[in-house]
Amino acid sequence: MSAVLAEAPAWAPVSEGVWRAAWRRLRGDRVGMVCLAVVAAFFAMILLSALGALASGWQREVGVPNAPPTFVGPRAAEATGAIDSPKGPNADLSDVDPLAPRYKEWDERAAQFRTVEFAKLQTLPLGADRLGRDVLAKAIKGTEISVFVGVMAALVATLIGTLFGAFAGFFGGRAGDLLEWLYNVFTSIPGILLIFAFAAVFGRGIGTVVLILGFTGWTGIYRLVRAEFMKHAVRDYVRAAQAIGASAASRMFRHILPNVSHVLLVQLSILTVGFIKAEVILSYLGLGVPVDQMSWGTMLAEAQSELLLGHWWQLAAATLFMASFVTAFSLLTDALRDALDPKLRGLE
Amino acid sequence: MAAYLIRRLWQMVPTLFGVVLLVFVLFRYFGGDPAEILGGLNATPEQIDAIRRQLGLNEPWWVQLGIFIQQIVSFDWGKSWATNESVAQLFATRLPATLTVMLPILVLETLLAIPFAMYVAHRRGSLTDRVIMVVTTVALSISFLVYIIVGQYVFGFQLGWFPVQGWSDSLWTNLTVYAPLPVLLALLVGLAPQTRLYRSFFLDEIGQDYVRTARAKGLGEQAVMLRHVLRNAMIPILTNIGLLLPGIFVGSFLIEVFFSIPGLGREALLAVNRSDYPVIQALTIYVAVLTMVINLLTDLLYKWVDPRVVLK
Amino acid sequence: MRSTPSSADLNEQRTAAPKLFAPPRGAGPQGLGGYMSELLLSIQDLHVAFRMGKVNGVAQRAEAVGRGADGVSFDIPENCTLALVGESGSGKSVTAMSIVNLLPDNAERAGHILYRGQDLLQVDPARMRSLRGREIACVFQDPMSSLNPVLPIGRQLCEPLRTHLNMNPREALERAEALLAEVGMPEPKRRMDAYPHELSGGQQQRVMIAMALACEPKLLIADEPTTALDVTIQRQILELLATLKARHRMSLLFISHDLGVVGEIADQVVVMRQGRVREQGPVAQIFAAPRDAYTRALLACRPALTGPPPARLMVIDEHIAAQGSPAAAERTAKDADAPVILEVHALAKSFWLRQGLFGKREFKAVQGVSFRLRRGHTLGVVGESGSGKTTMGLTLLRLHEPTHGEVLLDGRNLTSLGAHERQTMRRRIQIVFQNPYASLNPRFTIGQTLVEPMAIHGIGADLAEREQRARELLRKVGLEPGAFARYPHEFSGGQRQRVAIARCLTLQPEVLVLDEAVSALDVSVQAQVLNLLRDLQDELGLAYVFISHDLGVVRFISDEVLVMKDGRVVEQASAEQILAAPTQDYTRKLLAAVPRGWQASVTS
Repeated sequence: MSAVLAEAPAWAPVSEGVWRAAWRRLRGDRVGMVCLAVVAAFFAMILLSALGALASGWQREVGVPNAPPTFVGPRAAEATGAIDSPKGPNADLSDVDPLAPRYKEWDERAAQFRTVEFAKLQTLPLGADRLGRDVLAKAIKGTEISVFVGVMAALVATLIGTLFGAFAGFFGGRAGDLLEWLYNVFTSIPGILLIFAFAAVFGRGIGTVVLILGFTGWTGIYRLVRAEFMKHAVRDYVRAAQAIGASAASRMFRHILPNVSHVLLVQLSILTVGFIKAEVILSYLGLGVPVDQMSWGTMLAEAQSELLLGHWWQLAAATLFMASFVTAFSLLTDALRDALDPKLRGLE
Repeated sequence: MAAYLIRRLWQMVPTLFGVVLLVFVLFRYFGGDPAEILGGLNATPEQIDAIRRQLGLNEPWWVQLGIFIQQIVSFDWGKSWATNESVAQLFATRLPATLTVMLPILVLETLLAIPFAMYVAHRRGSLTDRVIMVVTTVALSISFLVYIIVGQYVFGFQLGWFPVQGWSDSLWTNLTVYAPLPVLLALLVGLAPQTRLYRSFFLDEIGQDYVRTARAKGLGEQAVMLRHVLRNAMIPILTNIGLLLPGIFVGSFLIEVFFSIPGLGREALLAVNRSDYPVIQALTIYVAVLTMVINLLTDLLYKWVDPRVVLK
Repeated sequence: MRSTPSSADLNEQRTAAPKLFAPPRGAGPQGLGGYMSELLLSIQDLHVAFRMGKVNGVAQRAEAVGRGADGVSFDIPENCTLALVGESGSGKSVTAMSIVNLLPDNAERAGHILYRGQDLLQVDPARMRSLRGREIACVFQDPMSSLNPVLPIGRQLCEPLRTHLNMNPREALERAEALLAEVGMPEPKRRMDAYPHELSGGQQQRVMIAMALACEPKLLIADEPTTALDVTIQRQILELLATLKARHRMSLLFISHDLGVVGEIADQVVVMRQGRVREQGPVAQIFAAPRDAYTRALLACRPALTGPPPARLMVIDEHIAAQGSPAAAERTAKDADAPVILEVHALAKSFWLRQGLFGKREFKAVQGVSFRLRRGHTLGVVGESGSGKTTMGLTLLRLHEPTHGEVLLDGRNLTSLGAHERQTMRRRIQIVFQNPYASLNPRFTIGQTLVEPMAIHGIGADLAEREQRARELLRKVGLEPGAFARYPHEFSGGQRQRVAIARCLTLQPEVLVLDEAVSALDVSVQAQVLNLLRDLQDELGLAYVFISHDLGVVRFISDEVLVMKDGRVVEQASAEQILAAPTQDYTRKLLAAVPRGWQASVTS
């Protein structure tokens, strides 16, 4: 028989696929791991908030309107008014008061009910908005909604873009032309205008926003996936799969798609960030989440008028939460991209 | 060349038809009944019916589509439902304001991003590069809204360097007094993503073999970057500008809303809030046509910039 | 072409073990003296390593040139052609690029490179830049990507002239035109405004050479300049380089993996393997009396064009182990009356290209190919790039749909099969592709790659049985069974081709199409895979359609040979007849263009 290789190659103890190798590289990247921890913490917080364990009572007005944050200290008491209120007991009007005979009865009835009177707090951890709601609770709730919308919209857009791109790139021909026509139609209209058009028609609501962003944002992924599928469809390993008799579906989704998945993951992350920012702007304009929900955008809408009065904490809280999450997520995306394709990174 | 132009114009027709169809379907079938919107809250059923007949809403759908297309071609959009102003008139008066703000932003952004990105790409991996990348990432994570709110507050309200809001009739006043603050804020926000994008273009080119050849010929770094790398990187940069151009006609509606600039973006937003369908429909279709024309011009420009391109 | 070799003396001095930090020879304060003034370039104890990032805080380095304490040392005298020979990974390109410091940023050099007495490793960047292009010039392997695609070649030619010689634009243009004429470019004046993509590969390489010659350098570094070119163009470029070197009296550092080319053009040869110099000396000595086992093996592994064809090619490791000349076994004759398994009549394939407004133009890739292939025999298909041989191979499997003609596999017409029958047809005829790095799915383990075809065609009762068969096949092609759970990126090119062959064998085919299957492999690995193919043919009775541009390889493995040009068959005969007595001009031209090595240049 022909020569077995004289030198046995030194193989790694465990054979690494792409994902395991990427995880190993990511573990060595300190910045990447820190960002991963931050993002994981945010997702834990979001999960708790969604389950109701955290910030469920964000709508309650627990504080004094526009209460400052705790570290700033309570506001000095303001002058209550120009009119001095008189001192002394009230005048007795029981002879002219038509309701007077029933007061005693009502007092006894009222004594049966227990009312909870709690004093409105003068300061809250991150302050209160103009209705006295806890800004920290609102920020957490806003994180949940904004991130949820961003991620879901990105998933919808990725799903649509990938399916369309795969068919267009792999088959070409008539199907490809049809999809190209659809792509041209959607990209001829500037994104914001398209969103406005959809929003004018469909109205507000979380599900609506997810669908609007997803249906208008698939074009970037479509272009990318189509180019990748066109590139891979003529590669030898796909030709070899065709030669051994693999079906078209098998070639598209069992062979090519795993080779494109790392690019898709990075694009998904980039889309998520973009959609979170878009949702914030939509909610600010009143086109996004409904009134009974909270998002970073609605917080910013309220913050604008508060800023003129000197109440900066809602703006700061929303910005802080959003900036931390988006920065950590973006840096994680960069680290992920470097881990998945080390050729792109400059060798240190 | 003529064959290419004819083929491209020919290909625009189905796309345009698709846009028209999309807008038509969207508004007629998913939108609210225009007759009810026009009639207002207290309209009686007879009034609503009269409006429907007037708008031709009782006709079969292909007749309605035909009327729609006729309106587009003849530039007759009727009047805005909210202000009763002729839609064409609306466009004519609002467009200059938008362009006065958006054109300087586009020009300045490109002129600043290119040298900046080239500098950063050349020093790839150095401390400067990494610091700038982190700074841009953080800058990008803050919403544009925050920049405008804070910027308006600090520069307009507290420091008083610029007027907080306002617009005038004279182009010169607009350019020198009212436009600078919005342009500055938009630049601050837009420079970060543009720089990152252009940096990646430059990095792609620097890694190519012809750069090694240029160095092997003994050319200095400046000559290599400016004469070789920049020329090649202009190709994707031009593509990018071509993609951004249609956007300036709609304008940044956020800027226009915050600074009370009477531009097309603000009109679009107002129309959405007021369910003013004619305005939104007209805007969508005309911007779509504009986008297709700009794409064609960009492709023609390609031939001049990239000699490998064969226009077929 | 050959200068008086004084390298025998230099060889003696070099066998003494070099000290790591020894001061450079000949660089005393008085400058050069004695026989050192003949030396243009002296590389002494060179080490080049690449920083590969950090693992657990420890910086990793990959040695490319020099291993451990042994650095790379050799000298290039004036007016001499020195060939640097080695396989991939030998460090020859890195050595050459470290002379002019065109390495990536993460490279670290140590040692001494003396150019006319000046140590290039110590020189400042400005001085280095003034040397590049002026005194030391480079020609690279792939001219298409080495030229700037958006600038006309005239402008690119003028650049070194204006930078180093301070010519004004008009003078530079005139000189550039003269250079183009000198390198044999037809119509030089018209070509000055051409862009690189408008020229052919050979013309682009001529432009690169003209750019390198612009300032009359003393040393020209040519890094595999002809590897990417067709055999006939390669010959032209080699002759051009030899002529220019003699006319301008410059030294040529020629890097190649092809000993045939080296033998014809070089005066001195340096053989490298895995970062070390194995042997160096005058070309006559290297070819006639090589001293190092690796050099001997390298010479012996090439399939020769003359002499009786051996039954097996020598493999480097066997050769080194045997330490002597092998007994070449005579090959057994093949059965001339074996049944015909594959019959092709007037096969044609055209592609349609868009032209004008609505028109289409036909591009005939394959026109009228006919042949017969018997069981257990091999048909070699030879041609240059663009001859249509690959398209023809793919059409046999219906990976391209044929435009005309028939393909009869054991009597059944493949071109008229329905979908279900096409699937069963796939079991009988299979293909191995050229690029081992692209023909295996990087996300599948070897095991998954081998089990998939069996699963599709229902071979084997269940997964366990299929895996069993897969492991047996791995053994058969010479791989360890432990390879089953590994990913392709852990294997070398030769090993991947073995996996590709095993994948074909899972279906138990009768005909195997090998599309340039060994062209991308190093010579030693090529020999192993060719031996494997012969063994499999003897054992399993496979018929091969072997497509290649390398006449030596085709001669070793084929019984009958088809020569193709521009989609047509130019000549068709038995292998021996084609090589001994070709009847067509094109075949004769192809044969003449093949580099024969040193023997040929002396005898011819």
